[in-house]
Amino acid sequence: MRKTLISLACLFLIIQIVSPQIINKVPLSERITGYKINVTLDTDAKTVGGNLEAFWINKSSDTVPDIRMHLYMNAFRSNRTTFYKESGGSPGENEKDPGWIEIESFHDKNDVDLLPMMEFIRPDDGNSEDKTVIRVLLPEPALPGDTVFVKIDFVTKLPSAIRRTGYTDNYFFVAQWFPKFGVYEPAGMRYATSGGWNCHQFHANSEFYSNHSVYDVKIKVPESYVTGSGGQLISETLDGEMKTLVFRAEDIVDFAWTAWTDYASYNDKWRDVNIILLIPKERIKQVGRQFTAVKNALEYLDQNVGPYPWPHLTFVDPPSIGAGAGGMEYTTLFTSVSSYFMPDFLHIPELVTIHEFGHAYFMGMLASNEFEEPWLDEGVNSYWEERIMDHYYGKNSGVLDHRMLKIPDITYSRLSYVLSPSRQVISNNEYSWNYPHGTYSMMSYLKTATWLHTLEGIVGQETMNNIFRQYYKKWAFRHPSGRDFVNVVNEVVRIDHWDKFGPDMNWFFDQTLYGTGICDYKVSGIINRKYSKPAGKTESADTVITFWPHSDSLYTSTARLERAGEIMLPVDVLIHFTDGSELLESWDGKARYKDFKYTGYREIQWVKIDPDFKIRMDVNFNNNSMTKDPPKVPLHQLISKITTFVQYFLSVMLL
Amino acid sequence: MRIYNSLRTGIFRALRSWKSVLIVWFIMFILVSVFMYPLRSSADSAFGTSMITEKLSAGFDIEIFADLGPLFKSLVSFFLSGILMAYLAGFILNSFLTGGLFNIVRENKGQFSGREFFRAGALNFWPFLFISLIVTIVIILLGLVLVRIPSLIAGASETISEKGAFYIVISGIVVFLVIIPLPVLIADYARAWKTVNANSSCFRALGFGFSYTFRNFLSSFFTMVPLIIFQIILGYLILTILSGWRPVTGGGLFLLLIISQLMLCFRILLKVWRYASITYLFEGSIKADPVINNF
Repeated sequence: MRKTLISLACLFLIIQIVSPQIINKVPLSERITGYKINVTLDTDAKTVGGNLEAFWINKSSDTVPDIRMHLYMNAFRSNRTTFYKESGGSPGENEKDPGWIEIESFHDKNDVDLLPMMEFIRPDDGNSEDKTVIRVLLPEPALPGDTVFVKIDFVTKLPSAIRRTGYTDNYFFVAQWFPKFGVYEPAGMRYATSGGWNCHQFHANSEFYSNHSVYDVKIKVPESYVTGSGGQLISETLDGEMKTLVFRAEDIVDFAWTAWTDYASYNDKWRDVNIILLIPKERIKQVGRQFTAVKNALEYLDQNVGPYPWPHLTFVDPPSIGAGAGGMEYTTLFTSVSSYFMPDFLHIPELVTIHEFGHAYFMGMLASNEFEEPWLDEGVNSYWEERIMDHYYGKNSGVLDHRMLKIPDITYSRLSYVLSPSRQVISNNEYSWNYPHGTYSMMSYLKTATWLHTLEGIVGQETMNNIFRQYYKKWAFRHPSGRDFVNVVNEVVRIDHWDKFGPDMNWFFDQTLYGTGICDYKVSGIINRKYSKPAGKTESADTVITFWPHSDSLYTSTARLERAGEIMLPVDVLIHFTDGSELLESWDGKARYKDFKYTGYREIQWVKIDPDFKIRMDVNFNNNSMTKDPPKVPLHQLISKITTFVQYFLSVMLL
Repeated sequence: MRIYNSLRTGIFRALRSWKSVLIVWFIMFILVSVFMYPLRSSADSAFGTSMITEKLSAGFDIEIFADLGPLFKSLVSFFLSGILMAYLAGFILNSFLTGGLFNIVRENKGQFSGREFFRAGALNFWPFLFISLIVTIVIILLGLVLVRIPSLIAGASETISEKGAFYIVISGIVVFLVIIPLPVLIADYARAWKTVNANSSCFRALGFGFSYTFRNFLSSFFTMVPLIIFQIILGYLILTILSGWRPVTGGGLFLLLIISQLMLCFRILLKVWRYASITYLFEGSIKADPVINNF
């Protein structure tokens, strides 16, 4: 009877948490965790304090003895934390103004004090100075189907702006600020071989791995502050000089918010999605381009991946004093960048807006583990950012669209990868804090995007879209692993192309995702030789000479190709002959070299490997072609123009 | 009227000196070609028999240069050091050539004589080099004071709004651009004065340039305004034509070279027009007040 009453009380509490306002009629996720937070922002003390009620449902078949929670803000507590150590141990001015989170009380549903059962753990590096993860032993283990309910009083001291959180003067961006559950992974989920918590410390190069949750957040701030969050505003009430805002968010992986006195708030709509932009009042000129960018991203991802399921979206263009908060994602809230003066030809605000919005899909909905497989979050998202940028802002001008210089977004990632001297030191398949020599960004974002474009070049864009549609359909609001993504690729490529690329695409991922090799195909020679009569033979009906009556103009032509890198990919080879004819050959790219030989009344004039530049991983496009007659005019016109510019420059600079 | 006369006389004298314009153009062309030609050969050699340069037909493509790897770094460093060397050599050569130009745009100069042009250049070389150096340093300092330092302060300040910072930077640039004709005028008057006072010191020439610029501020300044406008228009034309024109044949490339060099000749002509107009103003003041020559 007592157990039944407790269960009913528990259910009541959960309903209380969930009930105030329903945004999505049907839950999008399993909602394994939920949070009800009530806090006050102290703008003088730079603290956010209050209480939190949260639940975790044991959906596994395991009996779980403990819970684990992130206390991310403790990453900024001292310069001895794991975050600082990985950042080079130099917190700069933040050392004088640290950030931290204190748990003042911790109770379970029966008001049992859990503080004595709480301990800091360091599952990743054993650093005793790191206090970003807690383990709380439960008075009674959570049985399968049980709900663990906790009540926590906490105070979070915001640091001076660092890593997209903190404050500067009266500007607040409050992220990574409350105790948050890790993810319990039963055996069979992702790579787990036995049940356990996946709750990593806060690292320099990682942010998210969380369950999709429901958030009911009540925030009290001074009345003059304009506030925005990842939730939908339910109510706003004035209480003297303070106001209380109630937000609700459903099925998102993190909740962040911002408050500042000088925000201007703009609204727009894309289909049924209400979009709010918070931007410094003086940046009114950027409002239009920011809305256009986010609507472009919504449209493109909706068409090619899947629908955006929330009816609300807030994005923030932080002021220069809070510029550190720019370029970050919290699913239904994200931050962009711009400035009062931003030339139209420079698409930086659009790029950041589209990238950060994209995370609503890649990590927000498709909630992969960014700690362990950052490529699945940042890399996949970068690939889509590049597609969107080059689609809407010009195939050759996604990033920069000036008549003197155009740079597509797709070029940026490739160059960052191919020019990196450390491009081969580690594979893509590493925990985020294991990337050496500053290779995290290059590997997770740029190499991944580059090999995804390469995959697109091999299987085609429509198949790529099908892959992501299927990935979305199968894994949205769940926790896919890299292996799950590869399985989706194998499944879709098989459907679209049958066995054109073999039984599966593992050969591709083994080389690109899991390998460290480079791809470099080159044309090493063109040889045209006049056909000579075989010595000592006479012309007869069974010799080739009778077949080729004008043997003096007969040639044997050879195009010599080489694979200079380790990666083996199928490539097209376009061969152009002196008579204007062309042959498009295919090479599986496996051998170290390949000769294409022809006999006829024509010579090979030029050869191009991968003429459409589909294999973006190729580290040197320049050696992909060879000709007997190099085209000099394009290069010389450039040099001629540079000469004129230099002469003009001298003429202006010299008195 | 004085401004009009100075501009009118200036253009006549500049046109009369067309041979000197060609000499200046030719020398500067050779100077730039000295390092651009090896750069072109290096680029040809770097790309070898590749067809990737075809992509340049659609405009500058950073990817194909970046794919050159270490060779690209060598090309960039060759280019940058080449520009620096060309600037330094150009600075010295320009001091020599302006000596000839300021001499040839004086009143009552008859037929162009190459011998006299180079003689005057040699005679005035050191003083003109000194004047150019001092005035260039002044311009750099003005740029620092009016543009760079305010930009740094505005960028670092947390109390200045973005809009405020933007207007501080823009105001600095505008003030700099408005003020820039003053040191140029000082240099021009100093050189015009030194041309007819060969035995006087450079400091006296600069002193004259300074005092005369401010004594005849309005007429001097507004003589410069249309010349600057013409130069801006020409600069815009050069940039527009060169960035939009993409020849695909050798003939087109040759035409591009001819047109661009003609525009640069015109740019030098505009400069000589400025020298001649300022010289005219200077000569007018000598006639009105011969004492001024004994400054």
